[in-house]
Amino acid sequence: MHASQFVASPVTRRIDVRGLCKTFQLAGTAIEAVRDVSFSVRRGEFVALLGPSGSGKSTVLNMIATLVKPTSGQILIDGTPVVPGQATPNVGYVFQRDTLFPWRTVADNIGYGLQLAGVPVAERKERIDACLMQAGLQDFGNAYPSALSGGMRQRAALMRTLVVEPQVLLMDEPFGALDTHTKIDMHDVLLRIWEREQQTVLFVTHDLGEALTLADRIILFSARPGRIKESFEVDFARPRNAVKIRETPRYAELFQLIWHSLGEEFIKGRSP
Amino acid sequence: MRRARRPGRTLAWQVLICLCILSIWQWGYDLHDRLPWLVPDLLDPYFISKPSDIFEHFLILSCLKSKLGVFNGWFNGEFGRCMARSENNLWIATAVTLKNTFFGFVTGVSSGFAAGLLLGRSDRLSAIFQPFITAVNSIPRIALAPIIVLAFGIGDTSKIVTSWIVVVFLVFFNTFEGARSIDEGFVNAARLLGASEWQITRTVVVPSTMAWVFASLTPAISFALIGVIVGEFIGAERGIGRLIIESEARAEASGMMVAVIVLMLVGVALSALIWRLQAYLLRWQQHNLAE
Repeated sequence: MHASQFVASPVTRRIDVRGLCKTFQLAGTAIEAVRDVSFSVRRGEFVALLGPSGSGKSTVLNMIATLVKPTSGQILIDGTPVVPGQATPNVGYVFQRDTLFPWRTVADNIGYGLQLAGVPVAERKERIDACLMQAGLQDFGNAYPSALSGGMRQRAALMRTLVVEPQVLLMDEPFGALDTHTKIDMHDVLLRIWEREQQTVLFVTHDLGEALTLADRIILFSARPGRIKESFEVDFARPRNAVKIRETPRYAELFQLIWHSLGEEFIKGRSP
Repeated sequence: MRRARRPGRTLAWQVLICLCILSIWQWGYDLHDRLPWLVPDLLDPYFISKPSDIFEHFLILSCLKSKLGVFNGWFNGEFGRCMARSENNLWIATAVTLKNTFFGFVTGVSSGFAAGLLLGRSDRLSAIFQPFITAVNSIPRIALAPIIVLAFGIGDTSKIVTSWIVVVFLVFFNTFEGARSIDEGFVNAARLLGASEWQITRTVVVPSTMAWVFASLTPAISFALIGVIVGEFIGAERGIGRLIIESEARAEASGMMVAVIVLMLVGVALSALIWRLQAYLLRWQQHNLAE
């Protein structure tokens, strides 16, 4: 990669990752989790990071989210380097397990980011109500998270991130803990939101079907140490329907193509 | 299927047990001469008094009756004169003890909570202070009471300090543990939504430590009361502890029992207060909306 290429089009490039490496120290041994990862994501693009568990895809996402400090390499969002430990403006993050605050009602959870930003109560309420409606949680605003099902909780967690209208969404296997049907419901919810808001999304998953349903492009990670193995364009028309898309021949074709490559990594990751 | 609970029946049992205990206390020793093998010497009213004497003594200590056993009138000023004459009547003693307990509790809880949060969230501070805390915590706090009375005098201050010192560690350790065991996922979620360190403390650290803090408050209120009473034992002009010491000097079991029963009622009332507060502040812990 040439340096000038790297700064060439800051307008269309939202996320730029260059030569990212991460080595963890675990009980005195160095474990190389991520090796020399470079990619970029265009404005409004939906990219899935796919790979077997332990392939470092979540680590890459967490470095972009500033939760993990890279060993070396560079991360730019809108041309500005991110600072580890410091939230990047306009970047939203959705966790693998929902981290709704159990001591706040669903509405107060969703409104948390607005409260931090000092948004006036009346406007806050309006935006919370819109989010509750969108997530189908209009009857649960005053409930505490413990009263909600897993799918409802993850919808609320998604809304807590979306209410502040981030332009970049980082999602770490957000639907990993849900059953298949709830998961596909969530895919439709996310597709509707994304088609309207056109955020730039980086979505980590180990579920190929999920990646195909949602993404414009799939970046496939190899088994540890995590590197980018291949990249696939997913050319289904939009708007997509999470159920119908799985019935198309093109889906089967792409699935088979990527599955072959992913399968190799599963096997590699399995051997000690 | 489990049988439905019947609160009426539970209450009936409780009343029955109460009546049994009171009857044995009141009349049990009358059987001592006839059945010496059944009735222990400890039931002697000389040691433990008996309910009727205690009630009589309660009326006298609270200025409702004169020492001659006549009811003090409200309108003829007898009650008022008694109140003015006896420095440490039951009303004043209870008020003083309650007031000192309250201040000991409030200062102990707030300083223990603040210190627990501070050290719980800072690895460096907790490493520095850890040996000191272990050392001081190893001292039975009550052993410090005479020193405290010596230093702060026999007034209210020494009682508040004694109370504070027994409460502060309890709350400190619970808050500390709570602050240590915070789910970092919550902290990260808040940070990524743009929360500053102070906002994280206020909106994540404090609420998630609350359950731990409350776990320590019920014992803390008892401890606060213990601290005050011990302080009053060592040296005081007023208070329920002082009342007990005075009765003890006169070998008057009924007077001591009045004080003990008042303390019991005070303790129950204070604990109930904490429970109400807890039920309100930790209402999110109730899973009553599920399913």
